[in-house]
Formats: sequence, C-alpha cells, structure tokens
Amino acid sequence: MNIDIKLNNVEKIAEQIRKDSIWMSTRAGTGHLGPALSIADIMAVLYGRIMKYNPKDPSWPDRDRFILSKGHGCLALYSVLAQCGYFDRALLGEFCSKLDTMLPGHPERKLPGVEANTGSLGHGIAIGIGMAMAGRLANKDYRVFVITGDGELQEGSNWEAAMAAAHHKLDNLVVIVDRNKLQLGDFTENISQLEPLAKKWDSFGWAVKVIDGHNIKEITDVLSSIPLTRGKPSAIIASTIKSKGLKFAENKVEWHYKVLTEQQYKEIKDELSLEELAYE
Amino acid sequence: MSKIQTKSTRVAFAEALSEVGRSNSKVVTIAADSQSRYGEFVREFPERSFNVGIAEQTMIGVASGFALSGYIPVVTSYANFLAFRAIEQIRVDVATESLNVKMVGTDTGFSSQWLGFTHLALEDMGAISSLPNIAIIDPADAVETFEATKAIFDYDGPVYMRIRGRKAEPILPIKDRKFEIGKAQILKPGKDVLIIACGSSVYDSLQAAEILKDKNIDAMVVNMATIRPIDEKALSDLIPSFTKVITVECHNIRGGLGSTIAEFISERGINTQLLRMGVKERFGMAGSDEMLKQAFSLDGQGIAQRAEKFLNEKCGR
Repeated sequence: MNIDIKLNNVEKIAEQIRKDSIWMSTRAGTGHLGPALSIADIMAVLYGRIMKYNPKDPSWPDRDRFILSKGHGCLALYSVLAQCGYFDRALLGEFCSKLDTMLPGHPERKLPGVEANTGSLGHGIAIGIGMAMAGRLANKDYRVFVITGDGELQEGSNWEAAMAAAHHKLDNLVVIVDRNKLQLGDFTENISQLEPLAKKWDSFGWAVKVIDGHNIKEITDVLSSIPLTRGKPSAIIASTIKSKGLKFAENKVEWHYKVLTEQQYKEIKDELSLEELAYE
Repeated sequence: MSKIQTKSTRVAFAEALSEVGRSNSKVVTIAADSQSRYGEFVREFPERSFNVGIAEQTMIGVASGFALSGYIPVVTSYANFLAFRAIEQIRVDVATESLNVKMVGTDTGFSSQWLGFTHLALEDMGAISSLPNIAIIDPADAVETFEATKAIFDYDGPVYMRIRGRKAEPILPIKDRKFEIGKAQILKPGKDVLIIACGSSVYDSLQAAEILKDKNIDAMVVNMATIRPIDEKALSDLIPSFTKVITVECHNIRGGLGSTIAEFISERGINTQLLRMGVKERFGMAGSDEMLKQAFSLDGQGIAQRAEKFLNEKCGR
C-alpha cells in the first residue's frame, strides 16, 4: 500500500525532486545533477502512483522493489524517499557533506528505502531478477522496477541478465531505460552506438515500449499496464533530456557530473522557488 | 596403513547440499550453465533450482537478489570464473552487505588437470581474500567437504568454499574428524617442524610427515581448513613452539594460506622461520593432478624433500 497520500500530486513530486537535487548538489559542491534531473518525472510517477510500499516498514515483504541501477542518479532517489517519509527531510542536508553519510554519491542500503547498493554500472538488472524470482517462489505478487542509464547499457552484464530474465519469463520485472542520449564523455551514439535500442530489447525477448520520459500521463499509462505482455519482462525506453528543468544545462554533456556555483544558484533561486542554501 | 578410501569432493558437496535442502526450504541454487554440481538437489527441488546460463556476473547478482529477499542462495562454477569473472559483483553486491550467499568454487588447485591454466584455480583465494567479510574454506577431503557444506548453511554471512573436481581423492586416514568454521585441527602431533596445510595438500602433508618420520624428523601436521577467519588461538598456541613452520597449499603462495600465516607470524613478532609451499610467481599448466603436484613439489615426496632441506638451513638473521 502506498501510505503517503500527500504524494498524489505527481507533478509536485517531480518538481520537488528537481529542487532538492539542485539544492543538495549545490550545497555539497558535488553530485551527478544532470542524471538525476532526467529521471525526476519517472521517479515521481513510480513512487506517486505505481509502486506499493510502506515507509514505516521499509522491509515489508509484499512491497514493490525499486533498484536504481544507474546509482549516480541518486539525488532523485534521495529526494523521493524523503518525500515518501522514509526518513526526515533534514537528512538531505547530509548529502556528500559528512563522513560516512547515509547519503553518499551512490546509494547504499543503509539508507531506508534503498534496496540495493549500486554505483558500479550493470548490476541492477541481475539483482532485480533474483528479487523477481524470489517473489515468484514465495507466491508474492510484488513487482521489481529497475532504472538503468542508457550509457550503462554498454556494460555487457546487462545483456546477459536481459537474456536470463526473458528466458525465465519474469513478467514481474520492469526495466526503465533513462534514454537521455548522453553519457559521461559524449553522446552515446558517438561513443558506442546503442540504436536500434528498442529492437535490441525486443530481440532479447522483452516486451518493449518507447515513451516520452517527461510526459506524466505517458509514464503513468505505460507503468499502469505492466506486464506489457504476459510471460515477458517489460523494457520501457523513456526518452528523456539530461538535466531536464535546468535550462542552461539541458542536453549538455558536461552536466553529467557538474553542479551549480553559489552564484548560479542565486540567479535561478526565485525562478525555481529554491530553498536557501543555508549552510550550517 | 590400511587401504585408503577415496571420494570426490564435488560428490560430497552435492550429497550434503541435498541434505541441507531437505531441512531448509530457504536454500536455492543458482547455476551458470552447469547444474550437475548440485547433484540430486536439482531433481529433488526443481522449483528451487535456477539456471541463468553461462553468465557468472548474472549468477552473483541473481543470488544477491535472492539473499535480499530472505533466501539462502548457493552458487557454483569453476573457481576462476566465479572468483575472477564475477569479482566485482561479489564485491559490490555480496561482500559490502555481508549477504548470506554461499559461493562454491570447484575444480580448484590442480584438479582441473588437462584443462590448462584458464581452469587451474591457483589464485582464487587471493581474489576473494582481498575483499572484506567473506569466510574462506578449503576442505581437506570429501568427509570434510560434506561437513563444511552443512556448516556454511548454519553460518550467517557470505562464504567462499573451494572444492575440487569429480575425481575420487583420498580420504584422510584419521579417525577423529571434526569440522567447525574457524577451527584448526591437529592431525598428527610432532615437535621438529610445524606443517600447516589446507585443501588436498593436507593429505600430501600427512604423506610427507610419514616420509620425514623415517628420517627421524617428527613433523606436526595441522589442517587449516578455514583460511578466514583464521584460527588465531591455535596459531598462538602452536607456532611459538617451533623454530620452523611450513605452509602447504594448492594455490599461489600469495593471497591464501601462506600469506595469512606470514602476516600472523610477522605481526605477532613470533621468532620463527616460515616456508610457504605452493605455486610461486607463475600460472598453472596442463597436466594430470599427480604430474602437477610433482612438478610443483607439492606431492608427499616433494613436500618432505623441501621440508628436510628447510630444516637444515640456517635461519638467516
């Protein structure tokens, strides 16, 4: 069950994810801002409308599982977990600013609501398969949602896992590809071509749907019709814009791992209704 | 000595696994292609047996997903493919969280024989021991493999157990066998030199002790089946009584038993000289088990000869 009824306004959740991500990364002077902003709308729909979970009981056995395989997008995850009430919002101020923080630059399970340690790319799908198989074995109807980066799909481990998931007909497993078309060094297609990406998933035995990853209705519709095909895992390729919502950073490669200066923050603070940076 | 009984450690592992599977419904097996290593378990519990194909990284990831869901997964593969191909998944998914995953590397030491250096697992413990949190066990024979297999499922946390191949191996001619994770066992008392061995080298060390006896050298032989956590109490009790200590393992002398004992002796400042017998600064090569042990002087004869020479050396200080 989705406990926190305040989350009904998905647009608001997405907006708050963006504001929190900008706030946390600017305060810390570090963080992968662009990769968090591109998944904000997807995360908002997942936690606002789709997944069942209980922040008061993070290990509730029947909960849906979420794995952020692209762990560097964790600013978005931290924000949404705080909004759900997994922990006090004040903790967001500890992002990358305290030794052994609960909110490091890649998510760890010590933070309530984080299901798997990620940060090294190409791990999430296989862990998700294990969770999906375990759910089936235990006769539970929970689903497992995994968000991968698009550049991340250059890691071969994803494709061996993709083969296994289809072979085992895991229709309780959903992979959402954050297709923002950029990776650390350049556009994906300039480094190691991913297209035709939908065909790749299809040929690996997955049910595939390409959507606009910033259109709340499209995201909601597709995630409300899981499994897309009975007996197949679902791959949703969400076309997104890296750094979405931060106009001057949108679709720019350098914003993979770049944060705002205090000056830049002040300049956009009112326009985006951002909080005071308020360093203690 | 009465006729030596033999049995394969892989067979013993599979037999114990079925027994464990009957009493614990949380145990699941994940295979990367070969399910034969799990023996009857797969036929007896098909719903708890999964195969992800030739994909060791996926095997570890899937096992982690099961462990995070309250199951006790066991994974097996040729030790090299488990310990090296999937090392990063073992590090990030399993070790950091101390997940309850049981990892069994097979065909270790020289037991993959003619398959050559790709398969001869002589560095697997080194890879695994570089990571925190994982217990490492190298059982001496099929009897110990059976007991160790049961014990690792009673142990809460990640374990790497290295066993050997299908070939029937000698069972130690020792009556009182005990196995407890983290406990060494003195198999033969002695006063002139301490031989600490693990895995199949335990049997060969006992053979060596017999040969040394004929030369009036009285060797103590200790089975150190658990490399981590090492039995510090046994080492503290035993090592100071000897001026010469030898470790024997079918593994590189780095990263396994020899390294562990060297660290212990030097950090405790114990006044003793150590000889690490194993494979040094090279990979394996194709050959039969017997040929390879002979080539690396790790058969009974080779161990005895090197031990004798070592005992006659003056300590270099």
